[in-house]
Amino acid sequence: MNAIGQPSSQPGHNIEGGFDVERIRQDFPILSRQIHGKPLVYFDSGASAQKPRAVIDAMTEVLENQYTNVHRGAHYLSQTLTDRYEGVRETIARFINAPSENQIVITRNTTEAINLVAATYGRKFLGKGDGVLVSAMEHHANIVPWQMLRDEKGIELKVAPIDDAGVLDLDAYAALLDGNTKLVAITHCSNVLGTMLPAAEIVGLAHERGIPVLLDGSQAVVHGTVDVQALDADFYVFTGHKLYGPNAIGVLYGKAELLAQMPPYQGGGDMIATVTFEKTTYQEPPYRFEAGTPPIVEAIGLGAAIDYVSAIGMEAIAAHERLLLAYATERLMALPDIQLFGTAPEKAAILSFIQQGIHPFDTAATLDRAGVAVRVGQHCAEPLMARLGVDGTVRASLAMYNTTYEIDTMIKALERARTLFG
Amino acid sequence: MTIAAENLAQYNEYVEALDMLDEESRFEYIIDIGKRADKVPFPADCMDDAHLMHGCMSKVWIIHTREDDRHKFQGASDAIIVKGLVSMMTGSFSGLTSAELASVSLDHVRGLNLGALTMQRQVGMMAMLKHMQKLSLQAARAEAAD
Ligand SMILES: Cc1ncc(COP(=O)(O)O)c(C=O)c1O
Repeated sequence: MNAIGQPSSQPGHNIEGGFDVERIRQDFPILSRQIHGKPLVYFDSGASAQKPRAVIDAMTEVLENQYTNVHRGAHYLSQTLTDRYEGVRETIARFINAPSENQIVITRNTTEAINLVAATYGRKFLGKGDGVLVSAMEHHANIVPWQMLRDEKGIELKVAPIDDAGVLDLDAYAALLDGNTKLVAITHCSNVLGTMLPAAEIVGLAHERGIPVLLDGSQAVVHGTVDVQALDADFYVFTGHKLYGPNAIGVLYGKAELLAQMPPYQGGGDMIATVTFEKTTYQEPPYRFEAGTPPIVEAIGLGAAIDYVSAIGMEAIAAHERLLLAYATERLMALPDIQLFGTAPEKAAILSFIQQGIHPFDTAATLDRAGVAVRVGQHCAEPLMARLGVDGTVRASLAMYNTTYEIDTMIKALERARTLFG
Repeated sequence: MTIAAENLAQYNEYVEALDMLDEESRFEYIIDIGKRADKVPFPADCMDDAHLMHGCMSKVWIIHTREDDRHKFQGASDAIIVKGLVSMMTGSFSGLTSAELASVSLDHVRGLNLGALTMQRQVGMMAMLKHMQKLSLQAARAEAAD
């Protein structure tokens, strides 16, 4: 039952590779839901993951018993909640092995974290003719902020190519670092192809030339252990809602010396040291970048999510997902009509595919009838779709709570789609 | 403005047919309509940006013609299910006068009772209806300008 190719044939018997997925599933209330009369098979965690009871409870507990604003009250509630909120910063720092919690900036999501770097570091240190290097498989969140900076300051957006398997062309990448490149902003894991990029090598090559690197870890933090110091990343960004936490909270990690040199992002409360009408002085990082009341309840929720996945172990989660990926790949490829996009050797459990001759929307609608939730379309990565030469794909993105049994359900639904549309 | 019953014959046929089916059969019914529509040629030169309705997951094209004072529509999509849905819309609301077409509303779309069934939802169907209404108005305006 734990070997690839020998799926558990029944729900409730899913101790796969020693990983008690059935117990984990019980932690996620939504997974017992039915959709169109069928058990929900949630294969859209790459868009947003479901939340374990621990996260829901932590957030409810704050709202019911501890809620107030942080950083500003002299009273008991404010002080205890501020401590708890600031404790989450330490939890996040530990999770990605940041040297200090003062290098953890709380944002709304990945998108805001990247915009923050573009608007502060980018505006200050990048000028006309300087290059920002991205890859051909970026999410729009790591394209558009740089284009806006291009239009404002005249920087150049450079794109490192990928091969047909979805692997970054490292030689081409290294060559593109030369010349005017002043910043690399690149994904750590493709949200469409699942490709895990060789982040340490990417950073190393850039640092040889004195170029800092921002890594978009939105997908990568979910599927394995991330150590920002081992990677030597200058900036590392991710979003809470894909990591089994709530939406509306994200993280920007930055090297202390970089954060210290960066001007504020937005102005307002919390980010100031002193204010007169003549002059305002700003707080030190991370507070300098956190104007206004922060996402308090969401931060507590993210802290609970990190505690939850840490207790299970990112390595154990990664191992389970590797089994799922291998099994899903094998079963998909055994169908006569599947074209799979993204076959990198290092890959997270994300499967983008089309059924030959069937529109991805028709495939996804048939999966939906079977209770299987997938994403369809361009996945906020239109340039990548153009590179792959398709209008869109179906994307099944798997998570720690998924099972081989659920993959069988998807395969059956794909067979039905073939009968309906073939 | 009420719409003359005989002008909604096709619409009523859809409503009655769907009413008798369970959800799963409705899904297959829409696919059948989509497949049948697939056999009716849609002018290739109309599959262009000018006739494209913007959506993310699939493409929808709608063309509009006039026969006397009646509006005629034909729709296409790259996805069969969406082709089924757009065919139901264009089939239901072709042959109406300008005033009748303007009075087609969300209630008519709801009446088809497809909301819970498909990923395209009523929002998408409403967008199709609005697009058809817009096309008819544009045509009327262009004629007035001639
Ligand atoms: C690789 C990647 N980058 C950025 C984002 C944007 O995340 P958010 O919408 O939470 O800012 C996503 C998720 O959609 C993603 O997968």
